[in-house]
Amino acid sequence: MTLLPQLLLAGIVIGSIYALAALGFVLIYKSSRVINFAHGQIIATGAFIAYALTQGGLNFWLAGLIAMVATFLLGMLIERVFLRRMVGQPIISVIMVTIGLASVIEGILHLTPYGNGSFSFATPAALTGGGLDLFGTPLSRVQIVGVFASLALLAGFTYFFNKSTLGITMRAVADDQMAAMSVGTSVERVFALAWAAAGLTAAAAGVILGLLSGLTIGSLTGIGLKVFPVVILGGLDSVVGAIVGGMLIGILENLAAGYLDGIVPGGGTREVFPFIVLLAVLLVRPYGLFGTKEIERV
Amino acid sequence: MPASRFSQTGNYRTRYRQDQTIFATYAEQASLIVLLLVLLLLPQVLPKTVLRDVNLILIYAVAVLGLNVTTGYTGLINIGQAAFMGVGAYATALAATRWGLPFYAAIPLGGVAGAVVGTIVGLPSLRLKYLYLAVATLAFQVIFDWGVGHSPLLEQGGAISLPTVQAFGVRDSFLNHNVFWYYIILPALVVLALLWRNVLRTKHGRSMIAVRDNDRAAAAMGINPGTAKLTAFMIGSFYAGIAGGLFAYFQKAVVIEDYGLSVSVQFLAMAIVGGLGSVPGSFLGPMFIVGLDRVMEVASQRLGDMNIFPAGVDAATALRPLSFGLAIVLFLMFEPRGLANWWRLSRTYFKKWPFKF
Repeated sequence: MTLLPQLLLAGIVIGSIYALAALGFVLIYKSSRVINFAHGQIIATGAFIAYALTQGGLNFWLAGLIAMVATFLLGMLIERVFLRRMVGQPIISVIMVTIGLASVIEGILHLTPYGNGSFSFATPAALTGGGLDLFGTPLSRVQIVGVFASLALLAGFTYFFNKSTLGITMRAVADDQMAAMSVGTSVERVFALAWAAAGLTAAAAGVILGLLSGLTIGSLTGIGLKVFPVVILGGLDSVVGAIVGGMLIGILENLAAGYLDGIVPGGGTREVFPFIVLLAVLLVRPYGLFGTKEIERV
Repeated sequence: MPASRFSQTGNYRTRYRQDQTIFATYAEQASLIVLLLVLLLLPQVLPKTVLRDVNLILIYAVAVLGLNVTTGYTGLINIGQAAFMGVGAYATALAATRWGLPFYAAIPLGGVAGAVVGTIVGLPSLRLKYLYLAVATLAFQVIFDWGVGHSPLLEQGGAISLPTVQAFGVRDSFLNHNVFWYYIILPALVVLALLWRNVLRTKHGRSMIAVRDNDRAAAAMGINPGTAKLTAFMIGSFYAGIAGGLFAYFQKAVVIEDYGLSVSVQFLAMAIVGGLGSVPGSFLGPMFIVGLDRVMEVASQRLGDMNIFPAGVDAATALRPLSFGLAIVLFLMFEPRGLANWWRLSRTYFKKWPFKF
């Protein structure tokens, strides 16, 4: 029985990245009720900025940091230029704007030399050594560091959200925009910050994923789609939900790959299983595990 | 006193019966008939390559009309219209190749298949609001892509060729392919558009609009929002299925790439650019986007010749999503009512000339 622990560990590794990606998505939804369809494209942008910088001879860690700053600014820019004009428009238009933006960013990425083919980071020296052997499952050092980096970022954001003044302001706006405004909160600043934070975590997720399994536009933007099962399972407006949902989806898709691929002709159940979970959750418990129950029957 | 049936410069409707008319004036009726006559003669004038694009526009118009039913008129975001179209295309292809059905039976069958699947996918709409529904249709799109790619019956998403067809004593061949299908696609589109225009003035159409504008108010008025949403999904995906069947025959083969997520986004772009919740918009949007596509094709070729991009960049794969996305974003920001609004404004300008308003 070495298959099960192997699958579980692989699930946790990929699940921590999903959780990180979902965190940014939830931050935006929580503060401004916008579903961001461009999240995968922002992830890809961050990862490729980091890759381009390492190609330019920069240290991997520094490149990752600069990429995070860059997507932080990109998030702010998107909010300022496109989303702020849409305040007060029907929610359907706002969602469509993010779909349009996803297309635009993807187009721009295809204009760079990284648009086609796959690339991989040169593994930094600190991560090349031997890894661990857990339950008969070899884990490389890259995987371990990737998981812990994701968990550290998640913990940091949860702490920031719960304790810092800014975090509390963001939660206040998420709770009740009108009331938050009336006590002098700048809602615009909170929206901008939410997008910026989403950009930052997106780049982190992109860089870690790139380090683990290489960079291609398709797989990086694909994470933006995988975020949907994660956040629907966890609850669209719950930070804890994003983390738990990410882990669960990561584990579930690996279990599906391990046990169902042999049965299903052609295999590849990993790609589709999260979305079947998504539909099931939507039918049974649309607000997810930790989300606020606000769905009404019509 | 009924308003003039010849020319109207404002809204003089005083009875519900007048609200229910399809054409407000004889002039509108006449202009539509003239337009149809011109369209019927079009293949005699147009070169072959342009006619091919016209056919594409007409097929897309059918799908976008369906998308407008769900998204534009009922307010349910649908990111899976291409998958519904794919359901229709595959149903048509199977009916034609396995059961040997003629095209005039296979294409409607594709529409019915689309409607059945669409209603099932729409079922969550009984419980969910548009945000969640958008995610549900996205999930369906992903599952559809995967399902076709893993199904031996559907050639794993590879090409399924369709037989050539014969109608009114004319055989579809390499030489007259575009003209042949033009005279099948155009009537189909006209019938479907008129059908929808008629549904719009019935109880069902009006309750869809009421649900879009405010579902709670609609429920308070005695409308069942769930029924209205499901009906919208059924009609919308029926149109998508018909479009899929037509597209399958027109392309002579069904390939999964034609029904992917990017195509769904393209349909959304067409619906938004044309104008959500407008029948003329459903024609203007595809015209604009297909035109934009051709411009981008030429532009990327020129740019490629000029060698301004780094090696390995395929300008065409970059410029297409870039231009679609920009079209969506810019129209939503600056003209949310789409090209249909420009069309309406220019019409009123001529109607009211020489007065400004």
